[in-house]
Amino acid sequence: MLKDNKTIPTSFLIKQLPIATLFVDKKFKVVYASDKLLSLFCDDRINMVGESLFTIFPELDLKWKEVLKECLNGKASPMGVQGFLDTSGREKFYEWFNASWYDSDENIIGAIIQINDISSAIESDAALDKANILLKQQSELSKIGIWEYDIQRNTVDWCPMTKNIHEVPLDYKPNIETTIEYYKEGHCRNAISMAVFEATDKGIPWSLKLQIVTAKGNEKWILAAGKPIFEKGKIVRIMGTFQDVTNQVVSEIKTKENEKLLKTLVDHLPLNVFIKDRDSRKILVNKSECDYLGVTDANELLGKTDFDIYPFETAKISRDEDLRVMDSLKPILSQESISIKHDGTETAFLSSKIPLLDENGMASGLVGISLDITNIKQKERELRNLINVTSLQNKKLINFAHIVSHNLRSHSANFSMLLDFLGNEKDEQEKEKIVGMLTEASDNLLETLENLNEVVTLSTNTESEKEKLNLHKKITTIQQSLTGLIESNKLKIVNNVEKEVNINIVPAYLDSILMNFITNGVKYQHPDREPVLNFNTYKQGDYTVLNIEDNGLGIDLKKYGSKLFGMYKTFHTNKDSRGIGLYITKNQVESMHGKIEVESKVGEGTKFKIFFK
Amino acid sequence: MRKINFISIVDDDPIMVFGIKKMLHTTVECEIVESYKNGKLAIENIKTSIKEQRTLPEIIFLDINMPIMDGWQFLEEFITLPIPQKVKINIVTSSIDPYDLKQWESYSKKTHHVITFNNKPIKRHEIEEITKVA
Repeated sequence: MLKDNKTIPTSFLIKQLPIATLFVDKKFKVVYASDKLLSLFCDDRINMVGESLFTIFPELDLKWKEVLKECLNGKASPMGVQGFLDTSGREKFYEWFNASWYDSDENIIGAIIQINDISSAIESDAALDKANILLKQQSELSKIGIWEYDIQRNTVDWCPMTKNIHEVPLDYKPNIETTIEYYKEGHCRNAISMAVFEATDKGIPWSLKLQIVTAKGNEKWILAAGKPIFEKGKIVRIMGTFQDVTNQVVSEIKTKENEKLLKTLVDHLPLNVFIKDRDSRKILVNKSECDYLGVTDANELLGKTDFDIYPFETAKISRDEDLRVMDSLKPILSQESISIKHDGTETAFLSSKIPLLDENGMASGLVGISLDITNIKQKERELRNLINVTSLQNKKLINFAHIVSHNLRSHSANFSMLLDFLGNEKDEQEKEKIVGMLTEASDNLLETLENLNEVVTLSTNTESEKEKLNLHKKITTIQQSLTGLIESNKLKIVNNVEKEVNINIVPAYLDSILMNFITNGVKYQHPDREPVLNFNTYKQGDYTVLNIEDNGLGIDLKKYGSKLFGMYKTFHTNKDSRGIGLYITKNQVESMHGKIEVESKVGEGTKFKIFFK
Repeated sequence: MRKINFISIVDDDPIMVFGIKKMLHTTVECEIVESYKNGKLAIENIKTSIKEQRTLPEIIFLDINMPIMDGWQFLEEFITLPIPQKVKINIVTSSIDPYDLKQWESYSKKTHHVITFNNKPIKRHEIEEITKVA
């Protein structure tokens, strides 16, 4: 066999090598190539013998020439990995080795190159790397750590993330005791101890949100989960995850706090606040709204519509508004409205309705905010009344000033004229006549002053004491005191006032008012018939109305209506007309916050309605 | 002394009527001086005179504040009456209310009659002035 060995040519031996092998001379020209090598590469490289290595494999990095040169100097080193595209176009990776090629005299005559296909190895390495990277990234992103507790060996392993969460160095070696001690003392530590015990003893898994205190003393919220692993029916290990949920928990707490703050705010706003869904069902009501609707628990209102809460009319108006807001998406802002409850209570609101939009920009409901302005409205009314009264007073005052000026002026004009005459008069008889007139003028002036004084007293004395007086009785009393006048004029007084009617009034004013109407009834009686004066009363709102009806001359209200109650306005050619009676009556009634209305037909009679508060 | 046929005085104050009459007596010679206690009596009399084609007053002394029908209501009717000749109407009032002055202006513009405005007490020279043109 050994002899035979010599007979087998070297080239044939090399040809049969099971590894892809190349022999190159010092000029990198291929001397031998194994069949394995030839089979790995294309057919066109079959005649590679005699060709330069770098001509056959143009893909080869030129730096490898240097490596080979070193090899030819006896310093062999691995050439590394080189990728090639195979015949099907797939990238294959080869690891190249080389060794110096010695002849029998130990002279280097070339280099031996072996090529190993390592494509599959490279691919699986890449896959592993990828998986590792993914796991690491996932762990970092989700902040989920992994740990394992080997019960039999009593060891604990933490993954880097778990260590990271605990803020311990990566070489930290935990055990089951220290693991538990990281949990915050009290509830958290007790809970985890119990969970570990239950898991090791009974095989119950856990998932708990607890607080730990890290090695650096920071408090963190973590989600710790553990699952017992059985082997042949025995609990051997507990594996679990360890997740930092501080941000979530903190934001949850924050959200809850915000919710609470918002709820407190909404509840204590002096405004009625509610949220309705698309069907106008209430889904949120605040305390003011509950108070207004007389319920103690908001749940009594939730899910209800206005039709369940208010009378139909009120509910209908509200629902129409809701639909308008939700369909047009235009809010109703600060609109005054009156809300009427079943018990008839009216409340004035300044309300706004704002549409709530869903993610598609459609209204999913609305927010309602109402401010109870009943009191403000009441104040406003009072203020307006006050302004009306004041401007009326002002008007009266101006009127009064004109009256005073006019009356006094007319008297003084008479005096000056008469005195002028008197000074120039020679005729004694005429002088006497003038003096008579002066006396008359003086009397007139006195009377005017008395009248004015009466009016002034009235205007300044509005706070006079009121008393509860029986109207029927009072009419009878006045009637008796005017017996002479009434009988001589055959005035018939019909007292139809119900006996139990009492009114709050200044007694002197009532006397004056009744006397005035009775004397007017006499003064302005119709010449063709006997005068009748009818008294009766009725209630109208806050007022007791005294109705006084005569069958006298009547008055053309179109012509004189505006002047009827004016001072010194008379409308009849009657010697007793002073033009002051109705003026005073009106002022007396108004000073007691009442009013007077009049209806009349010329030739038929007049009806006065006196409204007493 | 000037001679005037017919003068009317419309005033509810007898002293004033007396005074005007007395002053007229010494300034003009007048055949008829009539007085009315309010605008209504005066206007009715004028209406009757027109109907019966009797003489109408050439000068009217007119008070404003009177019962039944005041001076302005009288004027309102008077200016609508078919009176071709110019009548001199002298408003004589104790009123210093600016409203009355405005009323006077507005009536002056509405009619061909001559309307003057005098405050009481009316003076003799004012009466002379009033009666001069007529």
